[in-house]
Amino acid sequence: MADIDPRVLARLASRRRFIGGGAAAAAAAILGPSFLAACSSDKSASGPSDAPKAPEDDGSPASGKLRISNWPLYMADGFVAAFQTATGLTVDYKEDFNDNEEWFAKNKEPLSRKQDIGADLVVPSEFMAARLAGLGWLNPISESRWTNRKNMRPDLLGSKVDPGRKFTAPYMSGMVGIAYNRAATGRDLTKVADMWDPAFKGKLSLLSDMRDGLGMFMMSQGGSPEDPTLPDVQKAVDIIKEQKDRGQIRRFTGNDYADDLAAGNIIVAQAYSGDVVQLQKDNPDLKFVIPETGSSTFVDTMVIPYTTQNQKAAEEWINYIYDRANYAKLIAATKYVPVLSDMTAELTKIDPELANNPLINPPKETLAKLKAWAPLTDEQTQEFNKAYAAVTGG
Amino acid sequence: MAGVASSTRQRSRIAPYLMILPALAYLGVFYVVPFYSLFRTSLSTMGGSIYLPKLTFAWQWSNYGHALSEYRDQILRSFGYALAATVLCILLAFPLAYVIAFKAGRYKNLLLGLVILPFFVTFLIRTIAWKTILADNGLVVSALGSIGLLPSEGRLLSTGWAVIGGLTYNWIIFMILPLYVALEKIDPRMLEASRDLYGSNRRMFGKIILPLAMPGVLAGSLLVFIPAVGDFINADYLGSTRTTMIGNVIQKQFLVVKDYPVAAALSFVLMALILVGVLLYTRALGTEDLV
Repeated sequence: MADIDPRVLARLASRRRFIGGGAAAAAAAILGPSFLAACSSDKSASGPSDAPKAPEDDGSPASGKLRISNWPLYMADGFVAAFQTATGLTVDYKEDFNDNEEWFAKNKEPLSRKQDIGADLVVPSEFMAARLAGLGWLNPISESRWTNRKNMRPDLLGSKVDPGRKFTAPYMSGMVGIAYNRAATGRDLTKVADMWDPAFKGKLSLLSDMRDGLGMFMMSQGGSPEDPTLPDVQKAVDIIKEQKDRGQIRRFTGNDYADDLAAGNIIVAQAYSGDVVQLQKDNPDLKFVIPETGSSTFVDTMVIPYTTQNQKAAEEWINYIYDRANYAKLIAATKYVPVLSDMTAELTKIDPELANNPLINPPKETLAKLKAWAPLTDEQTQEFNKAYAAVTGG
Repeated sequence: MAGVASSTRQRSRIAPYLMILPALAYLGVFYVVPFYSLFRTSLSTMGGSIYLPKLTFAWQWSNYGHALSEYRDQILRSFGYALAATVLCILLAFPLAYVIAFKAGRYKNLLLGLVILPFFVTFLIRTIAWKTILADNGLVVSALGSIGLLPSEGRLLSTGWAVIGGLTYNWIIFMILPLYVALEKIDPRMLEASRDLYGSNRRMFGKIILPLAMPGVLAGSLLVFIPAVGDFINADYLGSTRTTMIGNVIQKQFLVVKDYPVAAALSFVLMALILVGVLLYTRALGTEDLV
């Protein structure tokens, strides 16, 4: 026991992959006649409904209590207190968002009946936010109260997922790239094909999440997650399958590639930028590269469910976060990639190393190589998941 | 007086039923109902969106055909791994249980305590700890490598051997305890009698100890084999991309692909195969009345 890195424990419930994630959904599917009944009778939830309207805004300042539901370890110390002091609002901040699908399974019933879900603002990943918006379950964020929206990275503002960012306010983003142990590989990696070097046989891991896993390979084959098609996905899957059959790929992982990388079981891994920043502290030989043909990025977004009890306070919170000085504090804590543009000055004020770290403050050329996944239809999600699951083991 | 007697008799007739009522209700709610629901799911077609799926019952037997043909490898592998783990458990647990039962004297309870002690640590952590032990740059691998005993992959972690090892390690307690109980019950006077009759150690083992330990072997085998077949944690953490077990497939079908009918069909296939295996096994050991 003494030899176990405490981070292993943290990672068991890590935010990108939660082993029990969705178990509730599956259990509901098996267990519940009521669940089945609810599904079949629930017409309102099965198609996009009319565009929702935010509650009337009388222009008065926000007051009262704001209930936030966010991922664990996704906040800076003292940040909530500073917000409360600055705005006079009371915040009930909960770290109870563990998994997108799990959250959805838990909250879809009350949301479909427009019942309060105990949170005025939640932070799902972008694909989940797109799903919620499609179901008509999100309130638009008032432009007049979100004056700092101008600070958003232009590439995010123009995203296909939510053109013009009416319903979703990006919170953090991250890059999927290739992490490698320079001392063990003996050379630098620059492109996807470098991962297939026979020298790395059985020492390579890929991500098991469909979007994060496939994006990079689709792009290396001329496809793009921004405009995904089944043939493109299949091409990427076939390449991975070929390498798996050769014994090149050791494991498909969630965040747990980090331990294998640290222990030397893996020397090349498809990895998340935020993880690598943390791992580099212990292992300076660790490098992270976005392949020449580009890679995928993921974004978590703040959204206001249409059952919110305090729309104005939620907007106030979003606007507060979109202030560069405030946001820099969050980045310093989470080590993810900022969703605001031109963060260098504010990050330098906290710690010049943050600003100089290309994994936290990536140069424009790197950002240009990143593509976010388009919102997928149900059929696409199912087809793509199925195609990738056929390789990842089941 | 007669009235009192008959009501007591009546009560005593109802009492056993009352006593099993809670367990029956529990089984009904948490076993029969889900079982039925899972069975219906396994024969359904899926429509609607994958987020709000609509299952329609349609006697869709092709779900089973699909499950069997598509995942035959994983099914065979699961049974192979579980069988290997069960045999290893018997080989490792028998001498240990024997020593604790016959030779430990006043250290019996201490030794039993030590057997149970690791299981206070959660299953997941114990499994992940094996990653440290079997790491590619670790002592075990370099030691085995220097005497040329490494599997063809040139590593231990992320191989089928590691998965079998993990299964053995994680379930062995369920072999040790029933074996110990069975051996403990053996009357030492029988062993004395066998010695008095000039029985050799080997004959004593074959004629007395082993037959009397059979109920323990059988119970232990079932307790190890059944959960091991359906396990997915060991294959997930200690295995590689080529050691996936049927549990991994079911987990992925339920949680990622969300193809509930096929996942349910796979669960039933697994249950049926286990049931057949268990029946054959109990028949072969001929100890139906001893479990």
